[in-house]
Amino acid sequence: MSSLQDKLNERLEPKLQDTVAIIDGILGNSSDLHRREFNLCGHPDYPGIVWFLEGMADTSIIDSILMALMVSARELNVEPAELANSEELRTRMMVNASVKNCETIGDGIAAILAGDSLVVIQGVDRAVIVCAKGIKERSVEEPSSENNVRGPRDGFNENMRTNTASVRRRIKDPLLRFEALTIGTRSRTDVNIAYIRDLAKEELVEEVRKRLERIQIDAILESGYIEELIEDSPYSPFNTVQSTERPDKVASSLLEGRVAIFIDNTPVVLVVPTFFWQFIQAPDDYYNNYWVGSFFRIVRYIAFLISLLLPSVYVMIVSFHQEMIPTSLALTIASGREIVPFPVLLEALIMELAFELMREAGLRMPKPIGQAVSIVGSLIIGQAAVQAGLVSPFMVIVVAITGIASFAIPSYSSSLALRICRFPLLLASGLFGLLGFAVVFFVLLLHALSIRSFGEPYLAPASPYRPWDQRDMLLRVPFWMMDRRPEFAMDGRRMGDRQKPNTPKEEQK
Amino acid sequence: MIRVMLSALLLGGVVALAASCMGLRQINELAIVSAVGLELGEKPGTVRVSVQIIRPADARGQTGAPAGGTGEPVYSVRAEGKSIFDAIRNLGRFTSRRVYWSHNFVIVMQEKYARKGIKEMVDFFTRNHELRMDTWVAVTPDSPEELISTITGLEVVPGEAVDKLFYNNDVAGHALGSNMMNLEEAMLSGSAQPVLAKIQLQPRGISNKKPGARASINQVELAGAAAFRGDRMVGWLSPKETRGVMFFLEKLESGIEVVDCPNGGGVLTMEFKNARLRVVPSYRNGKPEFTLRLRADADMVESGCDGALGEIRDEARSKLEEELASSLRGALNKAQKTYRSDFLKLGDTFRNKYPSEWRTLRHRWNETLSEAETEVKVKVVIKSAVVKAERTNRP
Repeated sequence: MSSLQDKLNERLEPKLQDTVAIIDGILGNSSDLHRREFNLCGHPDYPGIVWFLEGMADTSIIDSILMALMVSARELNVEPAELANSEELRTRMMVNASVKNCETIGDGIAAILAGDSLVVIQGVDRAVIVCAKGIKERSVEEPSSENNVRGPRDGFNENMRTNTASVRRRIKDPLLRFEALTIGTRSRTDVNIAYIRDLAKEELVEEVRKRLERIQIDAILESGYIEELIEDSPYSPFNTVQSTERPDKVASSLLEGRVAIFIDNTPVVLVVPTFFWQFIQAPDDYYNNYWVGSFFRIVRYIAFLISLLLPSVYVMIVSFHQEMIPTSLALTIASGREIVPFPVLLEALIMELAFELMREAGLRMPKPIGQAVSIVGSLIIGQAAVQAGLVSPFMVIVVAITGIASFAIPSYSSSLALRICRFPLLLASGLFGLLGFAVVFFVLLLHALSIRSFGEPYLAPASPYRPWDQRDMLLRVPFWMMDRRPEFAMDGRRMGDRQKPNTPKEEQK
Repeated sequence: MIRVMLSALLLGGVVALAASCMGLRQINELAIVSAVGLELGEKPGTVRVSVQIIRPADARGQTGAPAGGTGEPVYSVRAEGKSIFDAIRNLGRFTSRRVYWSHNFVIVMQEKYARKGIKEMVDFFTRNHELRMDTWVAVTPDSPEELISTITGLEVVPGEAVDKLFYNNDVAGHALGSNMMNLEEAMLSGSAQPVLAKIQLQPRGISNKKPGARASINQVELAGAAAFRGDRMVGWLSPKETRGVMFFLEKLESGIEVVDCPNGGGVLTMEFKNARLRVVPSYRNGKPEFTLRLRADADMVESGCDGALGEIRDEARSKLEEELASSLRGALNKAQKTYRSDFLKLGDTFRNKYPSEWRTLRHRWNETLSEAETEVKVKVVIKSAVVKAERTNRP
């Protein structure tokens, strides 16, 4: 390993054979590695080689390199000796957009592996790296996990540069910065930290940088790897790092003074710091009328409460606190349960399990079969199980409403977290009634209160209470009232005075 | 951290297993009581408790899997014991489920039981946390056992029908809505005495299968009130007197009265609204005096009288005033003279105004009250004849 490291640090040899020997020694004879020999200006004394990886590099760019070095150079009557300096070569001959000099073997190898091409010519002092990345990428599509009705339809894709560009397109601020890092000793994944310099706190950016640089891992295949390696509370079921596939979400986060982490090869971008309430907010809230936005936000808060609490509350009331049910409802529930052989808790667990099974099966099956699974599942659960007297119709309703409510939460990953929190609550309320329910609920609440996300309390602005930030928490106030950025941003004001529009008064004559 | 989590898990597991779902009872393992009757047992010194238990499967029909039976919605049983609780425990000898009281609608006492004293009953029904303070309490001259097992009203569960009956008691205005809370309040009060609703069985229901038998099916009806002194029942109040009582205790606002036409012939029905009774106590020569002022608006709702509205208006008004005054006087008379029991809470109003005088009078309040001067002033304003000025006549 160390010998490899030594080799990588070596300077490139002016003699072509030596360089070829070293590079071949390191890269071996991989079938996708191509080596194209040529003569500079067609002169046999100046042989050169272009290395590139097939598939990673765009061959038309390689063509243009060869065209410049072999054909154009001769047509211009340039003497190969004049090009002995790589700087000359770069500035006089190369027609490609991105060309840089290369000093060491390591840089050259890294460039080849990243899909660029390395040009080495006998007698030229340094090698030249020509950017030739031409990997086939998925086109920009609507993100499938975060839908909205009104608003931009573009989503991120697997190419990080495309992703940063779609954010840059939204914020043409000279202070928008992308800082590059490489993480993963083997994967050498490109990672960019994005922020707006006068909005994001210096310390926050520094902290993100520090946590990312700390990571020592062989490969990063998805943003989830990084998320788990930079989290504040690694044991917590709650996400303290937001992930999104929507450029508009990232742009608005950057404008609030947050920091985004772009990772190559995944369409998911991480945003920090993160607050719990963000998972309940959706971009539609801001794109639709504020009345509508506030209303649907409240609906989503209700969905959040239902998806977390409803099964536990039902189990608790039906098996411990029957006096809390209005009499006619109590009779209806009792008659539905008359021949159910299981205790309510077990019934709830069976139904929850069945629901999770259906969800998981529907997700994993090939798409056409997935529908069949859900139809069969809902028939079995909804109709047959009740008819057979295995579960009560009320439990079916409770589980179905809970399931629907959990799908109404915009962030899929945090609805998963809620779904996990539901089970301890359910068990506790089924075993100990209100006492157990209260204990577990408070444990969850205290835990959520105690954790932080990159220096910000997780439940802010509810606790600690931040009066100015309330305008964008439970409700979505009109834009002309939202004149401040969140408290953690550096530059507080986001708009001028008196932005509320009104009908112009008739002019006085 | 791992160790902390493991020990928390272990502790949680131990607690869960050791507690073994303490207090857990499934809703379908309960015998939900919807009405309870109390009377004296056959042997002296015993009490007989009869309960109406809901059978959910039949009370609700099929809500889910076929749960069998098309039987009766309620299951009524009785047991005897030395005390109420003893009798309830004895119910457990033949009811297959645990008797559950939280959804009880009504407690019915037999007249004889009530006359013997209801201290124990109030104690039991307010001590137990499972019992509710908003349960209706009533006294019946009939057998409570028969009363609670009568299928009555439009509701599936008879207890619920009685509950709704009480809930809408102000429509007829003939019985008090007396619940456990009122009862205990009056029992604990130093001045007021309890008064409970009277319910009875009357053949009011008409069989659809045998209409020829006329109204032959017994139904539960609200019919007045029972007055108490201390914890013992002392006598009944008629529906008309009960309406008088309701002005005092329930702030009755509306009702109807039928009066004779001023110029003879038919009758005139009037509905009074926004009635407000003010009790003004005063103290003179060591004796309390009470002035009762009742103000109300009235409409004519059914007229059989000749003549235009303007002609009969004044007389109709004074007749209605007289009618209302007589129901107030009837209630006063029962409280002061017949039963010598302050169930109208006159003592409370007096105490609020004359606290120091009250202290000297409180020990013999019932006697003092019976000698108190009372004056009844009723003022009614007839606001409208609704849409017609005159009676409906063929020209």
